[in-house]
Amino acid sequence: MAHDSHAATHARTLPADLSAPAFVDTWKMRALMAGAAFTVLAALLAVLDHSIDHVLRAYILGLTLTWGFAVGGLALLMVQYCSGGKWGLLLRRPLEAMSRTLPLIFVYWLATIFFIKRLYLWAQFTTESSTAEGLRAGLLTELQAHCLDFKRPMLNPVAYVWVCGLCFAIWGFYAWRLNSLALQRDADSPENTPRWIKKFENISGPGIVIYAVTITAASIYWVMSMDPTWFSSVYGLLYLVEQGFQVLAFAIIVTIALSKAEPVHSIYRQTEQHDLGKFTFAFVMLNIYLNFGQFLIIWSGNQPGEINWYLDRIRGGWGVIITLDFIFHWLVPFTMLLSRDLKRNKKRLTRVCQFMIFAVVVNQFWLIEPSFKDAARNLHFSWGILEYAAVPAAMMAFWVAFFCTRLKTRALVQTNDPHLAEILEPEHATA
Amino acid sequence: MPAREGTYGLLAEFDTPGDLIRAARQARQDGWRRLDCYTPYPVEEAAEAIGFHRNKVPLLTLIGAMIGGAAMFSLETWISVLAYPLNIGGRPTYSWPAFLVPAYEWTILWAGLSAAFGMLALNGLPALYHPLFNAPNFRNGATTDKFFLCLEALDPKFDLVETKSYLESFQPASVVEVEY
Repeated sequence: MAHDSHAATHARTLPADLSAPAFVDTWKMRALMAGAAFTVLAALLAVLDHSIDHVLRAYILGLTLTWGFAVGGLALLMVQYCSGGKWGLLLRRPLEAMSRTLPLIFVYWLATIFFIKRLYLWAQFTTESSTAEGLRAGLLTELQAHCLDFKRPMLNPVAYVWVCGLCFAIWGFYAWRLNSLALQRDADSPENTPRWIKKFENISGPGIVIYAVTITAASIYWVMSMDPTWFSSVYGLLYLVEQGFQVLAFAIIVTIALSKAEPVHSIYRQTEQHDLGKFTFAFVMLNIYLNFGQFLIIWSGNQPGEINWYLDRIRGGWGVIITLDFIFHWLVPFTMLLSRDLKRNKKRLTRVCQFMIFAVVVNQFWLIEPSFKDAARNLHFSWGILEYAAVPAAMMAFWVAFFCTRLKTRALVQTNDPHLAEILEPEHATA
Repeated sequence: MPAREGTYGLLAEFDTPGDLIRAARQARQDGWRRLDCYTPYPVEEAAEAIGFHRNKVPLLTLIGAMIGGAAMFSLETWISVLAYPLNIGGRPTYSWPAFLVPAYEWTILWAGLSAAFGMLALNGLPALYHPLFNAPNFRNGATTDKFFLCLEALDPKFDLVETKSYLESFQPASVVEVEY
């Protein structure tokens, strides 16, 4: 069989040095500079606005955005350990680096404890007598007072600290466990790889379920409870899909950028890029499916207690934002990613992914800002509203800088993986 | 169409997809245009190697999807607004949020059907007869583990003797002549 050797002779070889290329440091420097610039801008805007209310609201947007990357990255890491697939080998180290940014998210969250009173009604009215007083003074509507009393077992400052703290402990545990085991796996001999694969599967499977529960809790505390009258059992799933959406977009951007140099260059193939494009497309669809499903149910029910949440976000100019959100978050990525050529083109796929992350910010803006009395059914310009660009940009920039340091700490290719030999082969050999 | 007679083409058999693609790429480069690859599973590079970059399936799918979506949305609008304008929970008769779900389902259904049947039609299927099945090694190998390149007699470059030695230069497992 003289022909069998062909595939082997055409296979690429891994370079000796598997560490991250030097330009990751340049990214870090640029991110830090951008972070500083946006911090100054945010401060300037706060001075012009004579208030830090919008800084705090935008801070929650920055928190959910960066948290989406860190915890969503951890979740996608667990998913690919369970599903297998060569795309997983390509994304594994960037996803691990994203999960190791969790300490920064924890610090971001700790800061929120000091200003929950300015953001959440449940932190202002902590007892039944105080809600009754708020109702009498006209600070609360009857519906709000009722919901605050009904939801108090979960929505109170003590539970906030404990539940979020517990969530961070759980995410931290999984991030630590998967990251440290990955290094041990690489140091082990290749004969033990099947055992390692099983082990990662067994950790990740339950981990995904626990992830879904914990992010539901966190998204309820951070965003949903800004309007205590809002009930939606799909809320956690909306965040789950949003995280998949943004994490895939970010991971594709990072991997394409890293593929310009070794070691990612030698494991990077168009086939896997195409697969990732299709995967992202699935999340674009799933996102509109859940969002529209929630809307359709509330619209069909047409209950006075439920529709306010949507009316706050459609009337008074907000219809423009939700239309743009629909275009940015679904129509543009959907029509773009439909194209096979685009999914196989590095530059264009990167552009679409960058746009998708922008769309996530627009969507979060639409979720957060109308929750407050001054903005509900009343979209209006103030200097403060620009904080929604400045604060998340600063937090995201600092997060990217931290992500770059995490990326530098280990080899970018996992060597003890059966997919490695396959991914080094020419594309047609394993169709 | 009258029955064709004589040689359909020369069929080279390869053991690996890599060998097939190298041979196909070379043949295309050397000016062959009437040629085809046969593999037991989809090998996209084989299609690219013989200059087959695009097909019309995506366009058919898009057209099918738009027809399906538009048809269902129009049907629902016609029923609810013109034919049977009922008051349901005080909502307007033109309630587009409710129309979107069936319209979406029909978009998917028509896209899927157009893709499947469009693909079959563009492939020339169903075909009741294909000369290549006259080759015994093709019958057995093309659906299991062999990879075939066929240079067809319709190509102006085709010459039974020269083409046979040309194909043999790729070191295939075998080269056989296929009759119509």
